[in-house]
Amino acid sequence: MSPAIEIQGLGKRYGDTVALDGVDLTVPEGSVYGFLGPNGAGKTTALRILTGMARPSTGGARVFGHDVVHATNDVRALIGFLPDVPGYYPWMTAEEFLRFAGKLHGVSGRVLDDRVESLLEMAGLAGVKQRVGGFSRGMKQRLGVAQALINAPKLLMLDEPTSALDPMGRKDVLEMIAALRGKTTVFFSTHILTDVERVCDTVAILDHGRVVRQAAMAELKREGHALKVAVEVEEGAEALEPLLAAEPWAVECERDGQVVRCVVSDMPAARRSIPAVVASKRLGLVRMVDEEPSLEDVFVELVGGRS
Amino acid sequence: MHGFAVFLGKEMTEIVRTWRLYVVPGILVFFGLTSPLIAEVTPALVSSMAGSEAQGIVIEIPPATTVDAYLQFNNNAMQIALIALIIATAGAIAGERRSGTAQLVLSKPVSRSAMVIAKAVSNWVLLAVAGGVGAALCAGVTAIMFDTTLLPEFAAMVGVWYALASLLVALMLLFSVLLKSQAGAAGAGIAVFFAMSILTIWDVARDYSPVGLLGLGDRIVLGQPDLSIAWPVATSIAAALVLVGLAALAFKRQEV
Repeated sequence: MSPAIEIQGLGKRYGDTVALDGVDLTVPEGSVYGFLGPNGAGKTTALRILTGMARPSTGGARVFGHDVVHATNDVRALIGFLPDVPGYYPWMTAEEFLRFAGKLHGVSGRVLDDRVESLLEMAGLAGVKQRVGGFSRGMKQRLGVAQALINAPKLLMLDEPTSALDPMGRKDVLEMIAALRGKTTVFFSTHILTDVERVCDTVAILDHGRVVRQAAMAELKREGHALKVAVEVEEGAEALEPLLAAEPWAVECERDGQVVRCVVSDMPAARRSIPAVVASKRLGLVRMVDEEPSLEDVFVELVGGRS
Repeated sequence: MHGFAVFLGKEMTEIVRTWRLYVVPGILVFFGLTSPLIAEVTPALVSSMAGSEAQGIVIEIPPATTVDAYLQFNNNAMQIALIALIIATAGAIAGERRSGTAQLVLSKPVSRSAMVIAKAVSNWVLLAVAGGVGAALCAGVTAIMFDTTLLPEFAAMVGVWYALASLLVALMLLFSVLLKSQAGAAGAGIAVFFAMSILTIWDVARDYSPVGLLGLGDRIVLGQPDLSIAWPVATSIAAALVLVGLAALAFKRQEV
């Protein structure tokens, strides 16, 4: 079975500017795949190549085995796409745009009627007779996701679908994406780390046109990255911090109020010794918890803090 | 040509539901109704001005005729309506690109050729209907005010206008693809239009190229004997088809 997306050595130059520099990427079918990177990393360029809007300078890409340069209509028949700023005909209603999009995919009759009805419902736009020109940004994004699903695509590609939305708009769009898990493959570009953590099961991190890491979300957060433990005491954390920092398992410690956070090299040893150190200073232990590194920690470590 | 019929349907609906219904068609309807009236009052207007400002000079102006009404319509259609057409069609592709609709539409199985050709066909249909309605109104008002003579010549004159307007649509599609800017395309279109006007003084261009369409309508209605209709019309049809083909080819090779 072909992967949903297979990118090999993909490069793109605009004059002297290198937008993509030998990107290799494989998106397994059925995944909700986060394509994460700071602004200007090359995410939109990659998506533009995958949808046939731009041509690669080097390398190539395949969608379900179809070459994106030479089999553009075969690729487009299989995908749904939401650009970062979707453009609509302002004189159309949401229903009219969905019908237009469906017909472009060759969907018609009862099938089209049913899909339009259910997608309008899913997007919260059922019964909205207002023309698209008067829609809010959130309504346009929800319509964008809906139109991308009109052909029941095998692969849904979304370019920064939440970047310009308010918290409620973001929540709505992320819930729509999360609801697609198991129904289709989702390839989702963003620079918002919490969005990826919330809905994606696999992630690639792009920086300066290169993929710096590609892994399952859980693996990425676990593998090779710092283990942390947080110790909260009733009072006296300032005295506790140097004691913990002096322990052989402690890599570094920092204090935030009455909480001391330590990066540790040996978690079992840390778990055994921390209560003893707290007791030796006669401090009241409130809590001691392992802290899983966040995607933000991993991201900052991999891209060097640029965003 | 994946998606041609669907996109053409969208274009036709857009014409009916947006400003596109009112600009060029509105101008043609307006001049269809008013050209015979303007022709009728022009001699009286010129006489009154001559009487008040050039006393002692006798200017004899013959009363207006059917020919004057048709020429008035042709002058307005050939100048104001065509410049409006150039500006209105300058954004045909550039506007879709700027607004982001091109990206959304072309991410579906639609060929770029289908998009360009649907734009051309929809504009040609719009011009045929608008030109026909404007001409019919002009002929009707002229019949009421003057007479019904020279109708075949008037029809031929309108046909010549339509050939030139169709050629300009094709030219503007190409400019709209190549220049990626509505203002840039409009400027280039107007420049070409004026260049064609200047070229009418060159006999070869006037007799054997679309340039000849610019004065041809007037000459048909005036019954001038040295008419060369076939070459200007045939070359303009051929040029329109070639320009649409080039626009489709250029758009296919571009990044959106």
